[in-house]
Amino acid sequence: MNKTLLGYVPTQSPIYAVHPFVKLYFLLIVSLFPMFVAAPEWNIALMLAIVLLMWLSRVDMRTLRIYVPIAVSMGSIILISYILMSGTHPEFRLIARFAFIKIYWERVRDAIVVYFRILPMIFTMVFFLSTSRERDVIVAMRTIRLPFVVTYVFAMALRSAGMVLEDFQIVRQAEHARGFDPTGKSLGYRLRQYVMYMIPLFALSLRRAEEFTNALVARGYAFTGEASRVRRADYILTHYSFKYYDTLFTALISASFIILLVLRYGYQFFSIEQSWLINWLSTALR
Amino acid sequence: MPLAVEIKDYTWQYLNTQQPALKNINFQVEEGTFLGVIGPNGSGKTTLAYSIDGLIPGQYNGIKQGQVHVFGKEVEEYARGQLQRIVGVVFSDPEAQFTAMTVEDELVFGMENLGMDLPEIRERLEWVTELTGLRHLLLKPPYEISGGQKQRVALAAVLAMTPRVLILDEPTSMLDPVSRRRVFDVLLKLKQEQRNTIIVIEHSLENLIPLADRMVLLSEGEMTLEGETRAFFQNMDLLIGQGIYPPGALRFFYELKRSARFEGQLPISLEDAYLELERLSSQAPSV
Repeated sequence: MNKTLLGYVPTQSPIYAVHPFVKLYFLLIVSLFPMFVAAPEWNIALMLAIVLLMWLSRVDMRTLRIYVPIAVSMGSIILISYILMSGTHPEFRLIARFAFIKIYWERVRDAIVVYFRILPMIFTMVFFLSTSRERDVIVAMRTIRLPFVVTYVFAMALRSAGMVLEDFQIVRQAEHARGFDPTGKSLGYRLRQYVMYMIPLFALSLRRAEEFTNALVARGYAFTGEASRVRRADYILTHYSFKYYDTLFTALISASFIILLVLRYGYQFFSIEQSWLINWLSTALR
Repeated sequence: MPLAVEIKDYTWQYLNTQQPALKNINFQVEEGTFLGVIGPNGSGKTTLAYSIDGLIPGQYNGIKQGQVHVFGKEVEEYARGQLQRIVGVVFSDPEAQFTAMTVEDELVFGMENLGMDLPEIRERLEWVTELTGLRHLLLKPPYEISGGQKQRVALAAVLAMTPRVLILDEPTSMLDPVSRRRVFDVLLKLKQEQRNTIIVIEHSLENLIPLADRMVLLSEGEMTLEGETRAFFQNMDLLIGQGIYPPGALRFFYELKRSARFEGQLPISLEDAYLELERLSSQAPSV
């Protein structure tokens, strides 16, 4: 098994044959698709396509279950926000009324459209993170000739997130070992006591930063001066080569995006008016 | 032998502290020497390591007096990043010094910083993974391997840069005895095959003594004792008075000497102690 950013994928997974750049390109371009697609059924189709890719890549599909609560709560928040906090218009169609709350069809429709735009974006991100190792992300960024310092800072940000979480666990266990137990206490009490975690965590972060700076200096890395101008041989890139099918996939992703734009703006495809799902819902809620 | 490190009348005080961390330090390390530095916690050992590597005064604020020369040149005279090509430091917490996502990336990071070309990087990577036994871990994240493996990665990453002076700051303080032994095995190979100048700050004396050519004792920022390893450990009263507890065999002979049952030089290794004991038992009247 190879450890990816979101879990483990078998070493035999075909996804490892794909160049990391293709995966990053897929993430960047495909997550734009929903921005141009209003009809929810097309965005649902995109989600299913991504799920299929995950299955083909041998991603453990059980991990998707952890996103169900996120999807539900996100949907609820969007729906409530659109119903309670958005404006109204004389032409809006009232479909229900609960006490002083008026529910308009147009607002429900917009909430559904927005929700099904965000979901495929999240699925694309989950696919990318589930199939990419930290190193893949760096390789992808270096392939497109991003400056070393940019890719390096990004890598450190990835790593520091894990370290902060680890440190948080250590601090929490240390607090518990000394008798601090917020179980059964009120939320207000827990929030107030949270400072007990934050102060040592902050101090640890400062120490980590100092140690890390020392490590960088000791390894001969310099942000300025003569040493910073050394031409770096990017060793890790030598493990990766851009094969014919990587070119094909990149072309395919680019072509799909262009076709999408042509269909959207040339032929008004993917609009709300053309959505059979929205039309069916509109009729159903009449 | 040319001098790798020469420290003259060196005093360093960190900013906003009452006492200097190091006071009036004087010693020299010839190229190819294996130097052991010992002393209780807070005695200034790490400050000494940082001073030789240029992290002090480069990365820390404070008051410096005296001189720290590396290969005849004051550390501050080296251009930024240059001294670190000559002096490599392995810190006590291996995890704190990892800068990359896989062991392989970690090992090549320093070499890339030095501007080495790909064939040279490959060659050195091959050598260092063989030396430290890390080949099977190359694709693993360095923070997911065991403590001993982490420390060997940290050591290998510095070794790959082939520094002329290698400083190890308590490299085995977080390790179990087996992992500790493996780190010292690597140091033994380096001493025998590469003739590097190696400075090891360490509490684990049973591993350090057999390798060290010379020893330095620091106490409250001052150099209390310095000398060739065998001569150094003849000062047992002073060492024990400073909270240094040498290995059991050495202490056993020290106790024999104190009770006037043994004369001569205290054996510093287990092998020496065994031979000495054999000699003593052969001289003892048979019962």
